Amino acid sequence: MAEQGNGSVLQFAPFQSSVDEGFWHRLSSLKLNKLGIDDSPIPITGFYAPCSHSQVSNHLTLLAESLPSESSEQSTVPTTSQGNRNRCSVPGILYNTNTVEGFHSLDKMSLLKAEAKKIWEDIHIGKAVEDSSVLLRFLLISFADLKKWSFHYWFAFPALVLDPPATLVDLRPASQWFSLEEAESVSAACNMWRNSSSTADVPFFLVSVDSNSNATIKHLKDWDTCKSNNQKLLFGFYDPCHLPNNPGWPLRNFLAFICSRWNLKSVRFFCYRENRGFADLALSLVGEALIAVPQGWKDHQCVPNAVGWELNKGRKVPRCISLAKSMDPTRLAISAA
Amino acid sequence: MVLSQKLHEAFKGTVERITGPRTVSAFKEKGVLSVTEFVVAGDNLVSKCPTWSWESGDPSKRKPYLPPEKQYLITRNVPCLRRAASVEEEYEAAGGEVLLDNEDNDGWLATHGKPNDKNAEEENLPSMESLEISTNKAVKSIPSYFGGEDEEDIPDMADFEEPDNIEDDPATLQSTYIVAHEPDDDNILRTRTYDVSITYDKYYQTPRVWLTGYDESRMLLQPELVLEDVSQDHARKTVTIEDHPHMPGKHASVHPCRHGAVMKKIIDVLMSRGVEPEVDKYLFLFLKFVASVIPTIEYDYTMDFDLGSSSS
Repeated sequence: MAEQGNGSVLQFAPFQSSVDEGFWHRLSSLKLNKLGIDDSPIPITGFYAPCSHSQVSNHLTLLAESLPSESSEQSTVPTTSQGNRNRCSVPGILYNTNTVEGFHSLDKMSLLKAEAKKIWEDIHIGKAVEDSSVLLRFLLISFADLKKWSFHYWFAFPALVLDPPATLVDLRPASQWFSLEEAESVSAACNMWRNSSSTADVPFFLVSVDSNSNATIKHLKDWDTCKSNNQKLLFGFYDPCHLPNNPGWPLRNFLAFICSRWNLKSVRFFCYRENRGFADLALSLVGEALIAVPQGWKDHQCVPNAVGWELNKGRKVPRCISLAKSMDPTRLAISAA
Repeated sequence: MVLSQKLHEAFKGTVERITGPRTVSAFKEKGVLSVTEFVVAGDNLVSKCPTWSWESGDPSKRKPYLPPEKQYLITRNVPCLRRAASVEEEYEAAGGEVLLDNEDNDGWLATHGKPNDKNAEEENLPSMESLEISTNKAVKSIPSYFGGEDEEDIPDMADFEEPDNIEDDPATLQSTYIVAHEPDDDNILRTRTYDVSITYDKYYQTPRVWLTGYDESRMLLQPELVLEDVSQDHARKTVTIEDHPHMPGKHASVHPCRHGAVMKKIIDVLMSRGVEPEVDKYLFLFLKFVASVIPTIEYDYTMDFDLGSSSS
């Protein structure tokens, strides 16, 4: 076992949500024209991208296209533009209740657990290796008050809890961790990965650096071939967070995935961040975390605890937005008169 | 909306319906863009500044003269660290602003978010010979920064606060919701973010910029509050609040009525310096001058390459 006494608990910056007005407009029209009082959960798609500015984090964004379109008979996952580097798709689920009471009485703990179970299963059946975005699964509960044109909602970004928590051995800007030659090669490789439409929206990857300082970015499924080559190997992910001392939320489930799939006790991770759309290794971080595989993780039936309800200005309350100004026909008529 | 503006919108809508889109290039002569040139310039912006991307938008609002997957351009989550009014105070202290167009009082201001931090080549772009220092710009104070949250219809959610023990996890970083870099000693102003979009205005035959603002917890800003991030000389004059052609709701927009004339001036300045402007660089020039209207919204329009082919 690795010595853990020296490291501090690795703390992750929570994911933040952002909802485009278009999402609520499409939800309203779906509710009025198609769903009626049917309140069964709806599969939705969120979008995110690596942090691209040193002073603000990126968000998980919902757009009109996040919802299935009204016309499609089969309301499965909506079709989205593949390979858009500013829109990495993340699977999510929406529970939209018919009443405000229904909204407040939803069992948030068990809904979160249910999503965590999906993530846990995708890790164990290996789906996360093929489609890593399932590690980012999210949950949205809402009540659309179509009489007042206001929307109550609450996001959760389920994260499997490591118990005991991972400890941090080292964390610094990637530009300091890599040599100058390595950093150049890593930047170039990352920019290539982000520019290719087949990989631009793949948020988890491997960074392998050989003894000649040549870096390559590989898919997670290539881990077995990479690990034997005696190269520097890092677990990379698109980090939406901009903070210099904390990795963002996606690393949580990634660590859980790495530790349960490959049974690693020490993980070298790479928080990939950009500046104005290009790799920025001064903003990106490299860290090393120690993980003690929690008791019971060998048992697939035993789902770990999960956390992840989003706070609203530091408080455990739902959010509410009023769109009466752009949706209420009477107000629209007045402003148009 | 005032009546004259409404009448004009109706007139503009009719003209747009009955006239075809511009097909002949008049980029150098009038500073305007044809539909094809808009797409070419947009493609170049997306490839040089990858935070921008093309969007297809609401299918029911699609413009038939533009490719379905290239209806408008957008860059999301653009930081705005300070309100424009505070920047203007700095400019007052530094000697005021410079007018790019000195024939009328409503000309474009050649201000930028951060004075003196660009290289000389870039700063010289608007020709300095014809500029005039204006001295009597009053800075208007903005009464409320958080008016948007006092929306009458929103009930107080404190009643529904969850018990504190819902989640207690040592690995979650606490209170990160204020992402702001607090400016100097004013703790009221906080980081806002913007979605900036560019549409093609068929009537004026120029691009048009739209702003959707969010507060520091990423909640939608009322369009009126967006005006705080507009240079106060332009708020409610050149920047108005209107329906977005591809998205729902009202958004602040830089009115395109003088875009052609301003672009023509910039192009003339370039040509007088022996630079032949290329049409695919149009949006970089355009975004540079839009920065004088929204000086603190830090969208990307990097120009670390030639603006055109030099004829000398």
